Amino acid sequence: MYHNIPILLVAVPIFFAAITVFLRSRFKLQKALNTTVFAGLFIMSLALLLHVWENGIVVYEVGEWGKYGIILVADLLGSGMVVLSSFISMMAMIYGQDYMDKETALDTTFFPLFNIMVAGLNGIFLTGDLFNLFVFFEVLVMASCGLIVLTGRGDHTPMLYKIEAIFKYLVLNMFSIIVMLTAIASLYATVGTLNMADISVKLAQLSAAGTMPWHVYMIALMFIVVFGYKAAMFPLHFWLADVHPSAPAPIHAMLSGMVIKVGIYGILRIHYLIFPDVLFLTRPIILILSLVTIGVGAASAIGQYDLKRMLAYSSVSQIGYVLLGVGMGSVYTTTAALMYLVNHAMAKSMLFLATGETLYHAGTKDIRKMGGFIRTSPFLATIFLMGSMSIAGLPPMGGFIAKFVVFDSGLEAGFYAPVAIALLFAIFTLFYLFRTWMTIFWGELKEPENESDFIARSPTPQIKVALALLAVAVIFFGVYPEPLFALASEITAQLFDPQPYIDAVLGGQVR
Amino acid sequence: MTTLIAKTVTKACVPIAILFSISLLLAGHNNPGGGFIGGVMFASAISLVYVVFGLDYIMSICNCKWEKFFALGLIISASTGFGAILFGHNFLRSTFMELHIPLIGEIELVSAGIFDIGVYFVVFGSILYIFKSTGDDE
Repeated sequence: MYHNIPILLVAVPIFFAAITVFLRSRFKLQKALNTTVFAGLFIMSLALLLHVWENGIVVYEVGEWGKYGIILVADLLGSGMVVLSSFISMMAMIYGQDYMDKETALDTTFFPLFNIMVAGLNGIFLTGDLFNLFVFFEVLVMASCGLIVLTGRGDHTPMLYKIEAIFKYLVLNMFSIIVMLTAIASLYATVGTLNMADISVKLAQLSAAGTMPWHVYMIALMFIVVFGYKAAMFPLHFWLADVHPSAPAPIHAMLSGMVIKVGIYGILRIHYLIFPDVLFLTRPIILILSLVTIGVGAASAIGQYDLKRMLAYSSVSQIGYVLLGVGMGSVYTTTAALMYLVNHAMAKSMLFLATGETLYHAGTKDIRKMGGFIRTSPFLATIFLMGSMSIAGLPPMGGFIAKFVVFDSGLEAGFYAPVAIALLFAIFTLFYLFRTWMTIFWGELKEPENESDFIARSPTPQIKVALALLAVAVIFFGVYPEPLFALASEITAQLFDPQPYIDAVLGGQVR
Repeated sequence: MTTLIAKTVTKACVPIAILFSISLLLAGHNNPGGGFIGGVMFASAISLVYVVFGLDYIMSICNCKWEKFFALGLIISASTGFGAILFGHNFLRSTFMELHIPLIGEIELVSAGIFDIGVYFVVFGSILYIFKSTGDDE
């Protein structure tokens, strides 16, 4: 029963992607079917996480080829990320059913592509095979490109900009994919296997014998480039502010909430499992680049008048804090990074979903033309305020705990200067988010004669449900963070000692 | 491209190309061939018809929804995987059966063949869908 869950999390969305193509014009049925499927995926992922928490790592051999075929490995990191992505994708799906345009999005490609995107995300988090990781990256990117060009009701981006954005996304992705493929091929030529646990064992043997080839260090650095591109780390962050704001709100929430976290997941998985000997080289690089990322993101966000663009730069800045925790490199800081990742994913996707509705409410995407919306839509004002508080790190939201743990762990590990820089830019975050919130929601209505129009463009009940559930999650992790902290500590323990992972994968019978 | 020579050659070639694509599909799994190249060959044959006879003419005969074939193939392939779970094995576990048919002889039936048929549909469905929708504009 539990044994089959990893493959079901990947195969069920693919299967339903095909089913939804046949149901294109039957909108009511689509809605019910997709909500059920995504709720089912969330329940399955929770069951998997609980099972892994109690009984250890689950290994699934697709096609029963043993370690020579494709395997799926659900350890705590992988299954935890799947729970997070299932939760956010469920909310984005519920929200998107009312938000997206009916003729051009919901009746055409929204449902199939969203399913495929979720399959790609789950595949990335669960696969135990390096080349398969690459394949799921491609699945994810192709599905996201198709989703970015769709339109929603609060989406004031012209189609021309969307096409330009996905052109950039695809071309730059091609570069990162070439780097990744070269790295994988070099690794395969060195050790002759693609199974991550197997590579880890063989590189450890080479390292113990003192015959580690020098190009393994190069490969580790190439993976930093690839995952740094995915996570929008400093020299590779420039695409994000063009690509993410072009997407409609539910897709924007998925991209900024989950898809850039894929880079963090990759760094944690690949560099801790396969290249533990190269960490002395990669940690300082990540640390320095993360500080620059925090600074560049925050400084760019301050100057933006386009709400979505401002929040996209804020994502760049926030992903820097996660990378900071990873780069400082002690057990406690990595735990802190994981907590930051979870809280940021929740709060940012909530903020993006609220942003989409706010832009629809306002009828424009220029912050300077908005004002006084707390009177026409108090619900959106509350949600937006909660998201801003969480991102800026104010209690009682989850973001406060996350920021506190990152700084506390950094001080404990003796990284005084990086923590000071990060604190300085945390004040920037506070400034630009609250300035935006006050401009949009406080003050007088800019166009009082249009007040009835604004009220007519209020969120529908379904959108309110999605936003409220996310808000509950954000507050829950703020006032009761112990379970998350315990989970993150356990994940970090597994990361720093990959032996159970290797035993689980390679310990089975050879067929 | 609608010259008489092109039309005649197409009429002669396309059935052969389609038959060859099916033979490639069935030869797969143990011999060179398989669903992917079979599907590409089928798609190239049909796209030759599109190029020579023109989109409007084909649309007047049959307005094929190629994305439906894509979805059908995906369902077939995924069902092959789920079928193995129903029999208590892992996803996509392959099996085979030797069948003796009088006059023809031994035939090996492999479950991976069904998966290949799904791939065949996915490949030609997606390629022709892209061809048709990029050629459709204006």
